[in-house]
Amino acid sequence: MFGESQNKKEKLNIIIVGSGRVGATLVEQLGKEGNDITIIDKDASKIQSITNLYDVMGVVGNGASYSVLMEAGIENTDLFIAVTESDELNLLCCTVAKRVSDCSAIARVRTPDYSKEVGYLREKLGLAMIINPALESAKEVARILYMPTALEVNSFAHGQAELIKFKIPKGNVLCDLAIAEIAKKLSHNVLICATERDGEVYIPSGNFVLKEDDIISFVSTRKSAKRFFDAIGFKTNHVRDTMIIGGGTTSYYLADQLIHAGIDVKIIERDRERCEELSVLLPKAIIINGDGTDEELLKEEGIHTVESFVPLTGIDEENIMLTLFARQVSNTKVITKINHITFKDVINNLDLGSVIYPRYITSEAIIAYARAKKDSLGSNIETLYHLFDSRVEAIEFLVRNDSEITNIPLMNLSLKKNLLISFINRNGSIIIPSGQDCIKAGDTVMIVTTHTGFDDILDILEQ
Amino acid sequence: MNFSMIRYILGCVLKIEAAFMLIPCLTALIYREKDGFIYLAVAIGSAFIGQIMSLRKPKHNVFYLKEGCVATSLSWIIMSLFGSLPFIFTGAIPSFTDAMFETVSGFTTTGASILPEVESLSHCNIMWRSFTHWIGGMGVLVFLLAIIPMSGGSHINLMRAESPGPSVGKLVPKIKHTARILYLIYLGMTILQAILLIIGKMPVFEAINTAVATAGTGGFGIKNDSFASYSPYLQWVTTIFMILFGVNFNVYYLILLRKFKKAFFVEEVRYYFIMIFAATGIITLNLIETSTNAFKALTDASFQVASLVSSTGFASADFDQWSGTCRTVLMLIMFVGACAGSTGGGIKVSRFVVMIKTVIKELHSYIHPKSVKKIKLEGKEVEHEVVRSINVYFMTFFILFALSVFLLSFDGHDLVTNFTATLATINNIGPGLELVGPTQNFSFFSDFSKYVLIFNMLAGRLELFPLLLLFHPGTWKGILRRRTRSITDKHS
Repeated sequence: MFGESQNKKEKLNIIIVGSGRVGATLVEQLGKEGNDITIIDKDASKIQSITNLYDVMGVVGNGASYSVLMEAGIENTDLFIAVTESDELNLLCCTVAKRVSDCSAIARVRTPDYSKEVGYLREKLGLAMIINPALESAKEVARILYMPTALEVNSFAHGQAELIKFKIPKGNVLCDLAIAEIAKKLSHNVLICATERDGEVYIPSGNFVLKEDDIISFVSTRKSAKRFFDAIGFKTNHVRDTMIIGGGTTSYYLADQLIHAGIDVKIIERDRERCEELSVLLPKAIIINGDGTDEELLKEEGIHTVESFVPLTGIDEENIMLTLFARQVSNTKVITKINHITFKDVINNLDLGSVIYPRYITSEAIIAYARAKKDSLGSNIETLYHLFDSRVEAIEFLVRNDSEITNIPLMNLSLKKNLLISFINRNGSIIIPSGQDCIKAGDTVMIVTTHTGFDDILDILEQ
Repeated sequence: MNFSMIRYILGCVLKIEAAFMLIPCLTALIYREKDGFIYLAVAIGSAFIGQIMSLRKPKHNVFYLKEGCVATSLSWIIMSLFGSLPFIFTGAIPSFTDAMFETVSGFTTTGASILPEVESLSHCNIMWRSFTHWIGGMGVLVFLLAIIPMSGGSHINLMRAESPGPSVGKLVPKIKHTARILYLIYLGMTILQAILLIIGKMPVFEAINTAVATAGTGGFGIKNDSFASYSPYLQWVTTIFMILFGVNFNVYYLILLRKFKKAFFVEEVRYYFIMIFAATGIITLNLIETSTNAFKALTDASFQVASLVSSTGFASADFDQWSGTCRTVLMLIMFVGACAGSTGGGIKVSRFVVMIKTVIKELHSYIHPKSVKKIKLEGKEVEHEVVRSINVYFMTFFILFALSVFLLSFDGHDLVTNFTATLATINNIGPGLELVGPTQNFSFFSDFSKYVLIFNMLAGRLELFPLLLLFHPGTWKGILRRRTRSITDKHS
């Protein structure tokens, strides 16, 4: 009755249980998209500080309790997200919520015990999604380690296409080259989607001239990416060994993946008991019991020679220090995990190389889901990534039905500015589109844009 | 301190006030009064100044509790300044102090008047005078939040500073929608009352005036004898609405949502009604001997109780002539006031409930020194922080109260007058006893005393601290530093 009917997009009523790091990030990001959010937490002071900061309603109480959920308005909720510290509580919250209303429920489940049974849990509990930030971060780290030249690798179309970010070094072939010439000189199958120069982000056109120190994001298949890197004189093999500091859940997931890919893994962990656990779980890894921030120990374990170095301790400052140290003493590939701290400008100036933010990884997946839930028309969001500090969005749409944009050559569509159609995935083959290609029903299409809040493929058209 | 944001908000407030001033203009048009041009001129003037102030959008629109409080206090002061201009220019109230007193009394929904004679005012003056109650009742910043798109959650601080009650929450996740719901309930109930009054054969102009003055729990009458000459039906309608506007608005939202069971079991509202029934009962029994019949006694008693407990301040009988018991009961309920989250004033029922529970807890701890007991309100544990702030509120209230009585005493009037004048202004009620009784007015006070009372009214409406913050040196620290910095910049 009091909603804004003039707004074409319907708002979602969202309940978030747990106001920790991920909870707060979700409040911020989902709130920015105009949704009505209620946050539940047991800690009144946390609720207080969140409601002071964001335009949301706070409810103090246990998110798994029926009466608390009723107070938060569960009957009219579209999306229910449980991200408390405890996996069991999250699952219970979602189970109770599902009994009361027909909302979509998302739970965070981190413990490896459950994460192997995600499919079962999801189906039996009727959940829309189970998120595991530790696993997702580990996957992202692994993707970068497979292609250590890249700063960041995001995967689309079920891993068939990748969006790869790297920095142009001094004296590279790409320097002073216009983007249109790349296709002629080097490779046809890559498309540069976005570039960052001196803190500004551009969606470049064909006559954009690249310079050294530009950070560019391009999209291609993994094979073409390798060929492209070969052509511009980068080494393209994945790393052979890696050193991980800290033996938390993310480290476990990462080590597990890397070992499967045949990469040697060395984990340095302070706690003796955890070391023993890890050595049971990961028989092929070398587990070192020691202080990962000890310079002598790092030298002894070969920080000079190791090809990659991933500090995954729970303390961001330690991770950053370790990264800076590693970059100073060797030219190993370093990936830094940052959990808490928000001084983004400072971090960007530190030149850490690859940085991953687990809380954004989680929120991106949920935002993609929330946006997909909003639209009822003929398309759906498959994947969404925020690039360059959320200034650029890369979104993959599934085009279900024929509409105004299908079966028309792309050059005849009037698209918004600062927007690029990066690839079309038709029956599993990736097409880097030219002006003559058309979008067809059944395709998935990836869009890179500086506009925010797209939730339908039709949003790409100039209104 | 984000001064550019405060400037922007003040500009918006002035523009809203200008828009509200079109209502007396319209009244003047209907009654063909020349005073309308003055209202139009003041409206255009304040819209212009407001536009200049809000022309440049501030770069940073984050602000914290302190900015919220300062913006609210300054808004109310600036609003009263501009609101008093028409009274001065139309010649209705030539003295600046008096005009300011009348306007502040209007906006803060006090209803204390310095006018001995109301009926000779022009229609548009009467309309504006009553309408200030309606604007002030729910609060102009809540209105601002309802209509102006603002991003970020920090604006809850504006609402918190302006809305009465120890803890301000939201009805729905978005503050904008919360503010809209509050105003829609407010507007709906005002219209309902006006219609019921018109059905009771009250002239339309008087019905509108009475409805807006009741809605804001203000109490400016449009007749010299306030309500005495109206029929019992009209008195009963007004009694009921005065009580209803003193109820926490959350209850109405719950009723709108059809959560009746929850709505009728709000603890604070229950105590509010118990208090009203008890006070009415005592006074009715006291009046029965002197009244013509029992119904008249009940009508008079309930009207006066409703009027004073909700801090409205209409009067249908000269209760200053009643017995000592009645006058004492009335004074006691004046202290308590209405519910939190309503348009009424006073210390608020919920604060008293928590305080009384604290006292019981203290007694309990004498019997069982090691016992642990948490205070509960509405079935929920009251945080220590809330109890603490209520204690401080009480203390501050009584310090200000004593200070005000002391300052008024220099005029040489009797103690009951000074005491009830302070009570009537700081709790936004209107009439007191003796010289400031329901048939009297405040014009005999000296200018100095009037400013003390103006301060009381503003402090009471904004719940003390936002206004007191203006007197804290830390509030203005940034302004000086910025000045000196820009001076040194010029030098270098």
